[in-house]
Amino acid sequence: MKKKNYFMILLAVLVLSIINLTGCSKERVSNKDSYESLEEKGSIVMGLDDTFAPMGFRDDKGELVGFDVDLAEEVFNRIGFEVEFQPIDWSMKETELNSGNIDVIWNGYSITEERKEKVNFTQAYLKNKQIIITLADSSINNKEDLKGKKVAVQNGSSTLEAINKQPEIVATFEGGEPVLFDTNNEAIMDLEAKRVDAVVSDEVLARYYIKQKNPEEYKVLEDNFGEEEYGIGIRKEDKRLIEEINNTLNEMKKDGSYQKVYEKWFGENK
Amino acid sequence: MISYIYTLLPSMADGLIITLEIFFLTLILSIPLGIIVSIGRLSEIKFLFKITEFYIWVMRGTPLMLQIVFIFFGLPIVGIAFDRFTAVLIAFVLNYGAYFGEIFRGGMESIDKGQYEAAKVLGLTSYKTFIRIILPQMFKVVLPSIANEVITLVKDTSLVYVVGIGELLRAGKIASNRDVSLIPLALVGIIYLLLTAIFTEIFNKIEKRYSYYE
Repeated sequence: MKKKNYFMILLAVLVLSIINLTGCSKERVSNKDSYESLEEKGSIVMGLDDTFAPMGFRDDKGELVGFDVDLAEEVFNRIGFEVEFQPIDWSMKETELNSGNIDVIWNGYSITEERKEKVNFTQAYLKNKQIIITLADSSINNKEDLKGKKVAVQNGSSTLEAINKQPEIVATFEGGEPVLFDTNNEAIMDLEAKRVDAVVSDEVLARYYIKQKNPEEYKVLEDNFGEEEYGIGIRKEDKRLIEEINNTLNEMKKDGSYQKVYEKWFGENK
Repeated sequence: MISYIYTLLPSMADGLIITLEIFFLTLILSIPLGIIVSIGRLSEIKFLFKITEFYIWVMRGTPLMLQIVFIFFGLPIVGIAFDRFTAVLIAFVLNYGAYFGEIFRGGMESIDKGQYEAAKVLGLTSYKTFIRIILPQMFKVVLPSIANEVITLVKDTSLVYVVGIGELLRAGKIASNRDVSLIPLALVGIIYLLLTAIFTEIFNKIEKRYSYYE
């Protein structure tokens, strides 16, 4: 009996300390603006998932490159910060931010209502559409033409959510539902093999894949399945940092340097 | 194809170095810890026994991934902050120390009581008995189980992605997403297989050397 008591006490201590820890972590979020201490250091830590081509990834020499990397370097250069890139696991991004390991999340981070509760967003710096891709010689020209065709989508993606918001169109696909693949890469390979007639995908990723393969072989339709936007995630208390980044982004859009970075990575003027 | 694989090698080599660093440091630190744990587990002092029992329960009873997350993200809240690599190493050593501890305990318990009695008759101190008589024999018994853990450790190193450390598997994922190709992942698989082949061979050699009574 005594043994059991001892054990229960240990268990209780463990549980209590865990509750205590989570309690503390919430308090930490309500810290003060860290802009001054960043200014003092002269550097800022940017968290990114270094597997995410073309936004932020490593080239064959192991250097970090990508649209977000180039854009961030220019933005922080103008503000006067040196950027330290810290690879993180994407599922831990908000934890990394709020525990202070990183100062910004900047890596194809879609602005959603749910995320707005955990972090603050800067202005959107890139629009992302759910686009429809076919082979260049396809007879499909708009959403209606998808009737009776095989349409491929990445499983678990925001694309799948987007097309399911238009169930009346999905119902016209062959089989009444899309063909699901694990990755966009597989979906596009299947399009090439002509086993599916069209792929719906995240524009940023799709344009990168198309550019990697042969752009002549594909056609991107005018019609799309809705838009979303990428923003930069900042701790709630860092109001000044948001302001600085927003101003710099506006400046870059005006003087054309933003467009240069865009063209470099997506090969289409905007 | 061959020239493409050639371009992948530098980044794979960088990842491999990180993987091997974690692997060897964990091994070097967790085996002594395991011996200490096994002694605690066999101790007649009740407090020591309870503590090690609790430690083993926590370490084996929660996923290694969770332990890494807890040490890296959880401890800074109470003011203990480690850098990424140190945090990962602490988690791995604590985790593998528990497994090794149990393996060693099993090995020690398998040693005949007569060995202790004989050592006593010969006038050896209990410290000398442990170091010179029990430990070498225990080592022989546990070798196959250790080999098993070592192979598991090679693959477990890939868990460090959760704190953003770029080891071998992550290097493969990066190249795979960048080049829109599955070849980097296949290459990573081959490297892991080569590693385990090497360690299996090493352990076979050691086992043979220690099989002097058979």
